[in-house]
Amino acid sequence: MSLKLDPRTKLYMIFVVSAVVMMSATAPFLWAVRITMTMIPILLLIVEKHYAAAFRFLIFYGTALLLTFRFLSEQSKGFLSAFLVGYCSIIVQFMPAMITAWYVVRTTKIGEFVCAMQKMHILDGITISLAVVMRFFPTIKEEYAAIRDAMKMRGIMLGGGNAAGMIEYRMIPLLFSCVNIGDELSAAAVTRGLGGKVKRTSVQVLKMSVADYLLMFLFTAALAVFVGSKYIG
Amino acid sequence: MMQTIAQIKNVTYRYKGAAENSLDRVSLSIKKGETLLLCGASGSGKTSVIRLLNGLIPHYYHGDMTGEVTVNGHDIAKTQLYELAGVVGTVFQNPRSQFFSVDTDGEIVFGPENIGLDPKEINARKEIIAKQMKLDKLLGRSLFELSGGEKQRIACASVAALLPEIILLDEPSSNLDMEAIGMLHDIVCDWKRQGKTIIISEHRLWYLKDLVDRVIYMDKGKISLQWSSKEFAELSETETRRLGLRPTRINEHYLALLSEQDDTRKGHVDIPEGILLKDFYFSYHHKPYIFRKKKFSAADGDALSLSIPELILPKGKVTAVIGSNGTGKSTFLRCVCGLEKDCTGVIISNGKEYRKRQRIGFSYMVMQDVNHQLFTDNVEKEVLLSMKDKNEKRCHEILDTLGLIEYKNTHPMALSGGQKQRVAIASAIAAGAELLLFDEPTSGLDYAHMEKVGDFLRQLADSGSTVLVSTHDPEFIEQCCDYTLRIKKGRLFSFQERNR
Repeated sequence: MSLKLDPRTKLYMIFVVSAVVMMSATAPFLWAVRITMTMIPILLLIVEKHYAAAFRFLIFYGTALLLTFRFLSEQSKGFLSAFLVGYCSIIVQFMPAMITAWYVVRTTKIGEFVCAMQKMHILDGITISLAVVMRFFPTIKEEYAAIRDAMKMRGIMLGGGNAAGMIEYRMIPLLFSCVNIGDELSAAAVTRGLGGKVKRTSVQVLKMSVADYLLMFLFTAALAVFVGSKYIG
Repeated sequence: MMQTIAQIKNVTYRYKGAAENSLDRVSLSIKKGETLLLCGASGSGKTSVIRLLNGLIPHYYHGDMTGEVTVNGHDIAKTQLYELAGVVGTVFQNPRSQFFSVDTDGEIVFGPENIGLDPKEINARKEIIAKQMKLDKLLGRSLFELSGGEKQRIACASVAALLPEIILLDEPSSNLDMEAIGMLHDIVCDWKRQGKTIIISEHRLWYLKDLVDRVIYMDKGKISLQWSSKEFAELSETETRRLGLRPTRINEHYLALLSEQDDTRKGHVDIPEGILLKDFYFSYHHKPYIFRKKKFSAADGDALSLSIPELILPKGKVTAVIGSNGTGKSTFLRCVCGLEKDCTGVIISNGKEYRKRQRIGFSYMVMQDVNHQLFTDNVEKEVLLSMKDKNEKRCHEILDTLGLIEYKNTHPMALSGGQKQRVAIASAIAAGAELLLFDEPTSGLDYAHMEKVGDFLRQLADSGSTVLVSTHDPEFIEQCCDYTLRIKKGRLFSFQERNR
C-alpha cells in the first residue's frame, strides 16, 4: 500500500502541528486531539515503510506520556523527578512537531517540493534556497561522519586536552567543506540553467487526492478546537 | 571547411585575490565536432579554459579578464549563464558536489526544467537518454547510494539531457576505477559519434588516445604545445615524463596488473617478517540483537562484507590494495585501522596483540579527502596534536623531512592540495603508528604530484613503517609498490610480490 500525499498537505500539517504545540492542552479532550494528531504522522511513517523510525518515535512519545500522566504530578519531589518532569514535558509538548517534520523531510522528493512551492506562487528565490537546504542534509551527515572518523584516528574525540576543542575540531572542518561543496554545487547548477528568467517547469504532476482533503480537514478541525478553547472557552 | 564553434582570443585572466595570472594570452579556436584534450600539470590553466568556455569565468568566478571568448555565436562576456545552458554542458570532477537533487530522475530532468521545457518533452528526453546510456538500473534511486562511477554516469546524462552542442569535461575520471573509466570512454565515444564538440581536461591520458582529434598542452597558463591525435599517440614515455604527463599508452603489463582475468590467484608469498592480521570479519548489515551485539565470525559466511581469516603483511614494504570500486577495499582498510569497531580482528606484531581500540594507536589511516583531517590553525600545531608527548624537536624533524618546515606557521587550509596531503602524512608519522594506511592518495593528481606521493610512501617504508595503500592507479603501483593484494567481494583474491 502506498499513500502519496501532496507536499502542500504536508506543509500544512507542519504548520498546524507547530501552531498546536505552542498552545497548551488544558482539558482531557484537548489532550486526546493532540495525541491523535501525533499518531497521524506516525501512522503515515508506517505506511511509507519507515518502520524503525515510527517505532522509535512511538516508544519515545509513549513513554514520556505515560510518565507524565501516571508517575509525575505537581507533588513530585527530588532531583530525579525534577529532571524527568523537564525532560518529559519537553518531549510531550514538542515531539509532535519533530515527528511531523521528520516525516515530511524523509518522504518528500526535492522535485515535488519545488513544484508544490511553485503552485503556491512562492518566489523562486525562496523555493530554491529551501531546496538547497534539503539537498544539504545528507551531505552534512556524510561530511560529519568523515570528520568523526578522522578525529578518532587522531585520538581527539574528546578535544585533545582542551574542552573547546571538542566543538572546534568538529565544526571547523565541517564548515570548510560545506562552504566548498556549496560553492561547487552552485557553479554546477548555474551551468545547467538555474536562475534564468524563463519560468521553470516541473515534470512532477501534483494532484490533491481524497486523503489530502481528508487530512487537511482533520488538521484544520484540530487547529480550530485549540484556538477555540484558548480564546472562547 | 569545418566551421569554428568556439573561439578564445588572446585571453589573460587572474582570479580575484590571486598573485599570478591563471591564463596568459591564450588563443584557441575549436571546430565543430572536434574532440579536444587539454593536458598539463595541476594549476596550468586547464580548468580555467573550461570555465571560460562555460561562462563561469567571468560570470561566477570574478577576476581581471582581457580578451574575448565566443561560443556558438554568443559573446560570453555579454551572455548570461542561463542562456548558455542549452549550448554548453559541463561534467565536473567531483561527483559529490555537482548534484542538485537527491534522486537520479530529478537530477536528469533538472536542467530541462530550468530552461522551461514542456514536461512531456522533458520526460521524452529522459527516456531517450536513459535508453542511450543504459541507465535503467540507475533510475529511481538515491544519488547518495551510488558508486563514484554511477554518479559520474548520471552527471553525464543530466548534461546530455540539455542537448548541448558543446560538452566540457573537467577531469572526469579522477575518482573512477578501471571499469568506470571504460564506461566513461564509451559515453564520450557516443557523443563524438553524435557530432558533439567535446573538450576534456584530464590527467589520465591513455583512455582518450583513440578519441581525441587534437591535444593541447598547457604550462603556466599558456598553451605551449599542440599535437594531432597521431603525434600524440606516438609520444614516447621519456617525452611525456619530461613534460610531467602521465603516459599516453598503458602497457599490457599495467592492464594485466589491474585486470582480474589475468590474475594468477596466487595467494601466498614468503614473507620474512610480517604483521599478522587475524579474524577480520565484518558486515555492514547488523545482525538483529536484543541485549548484546553478536560478534561477526567465519560462520556468517556469505553474509559478510569482509572475511579475511588470516593475512601476513610484509613489514617495511608498500603493499597496494587493488580491486574494483565497491568491492571492499575501503572496508578492509577501515577494519584494519579500527574505525569499524564491530570488526573483531586482531593485529599481531612482534609478538604483541592489538585488539579493538588499540588498533587505532598501532595503525593510522590517511583518508582521501584531506580537508576532513586538518583541525587546527597552523601546521605545527596540527602535527603536535597527534603527539602524546608534544615533542617540538621531533615535530620539526618530521616537517623538515616532508618539506613543510617553511609553512609551520601557515593555516593548513591556505595550503595547496598536495601540501595539505603532506600535512596529513606528517600527522600520521607524528602519531607514531607502525602501520600506515592510505585510501586512494593519488586520485586526481598529475604525474609530478603522483610521483612525489610515491616517493614519500617509499621513504616511509624504508624508514621501517609498513604501508598499505588502496589505489586504481597503475602508474603509481609501478612506481612504488612492492606487493599487490587483490580484494574481491571482501575476500582475499590474490597476493603477490612485484618485481621491482
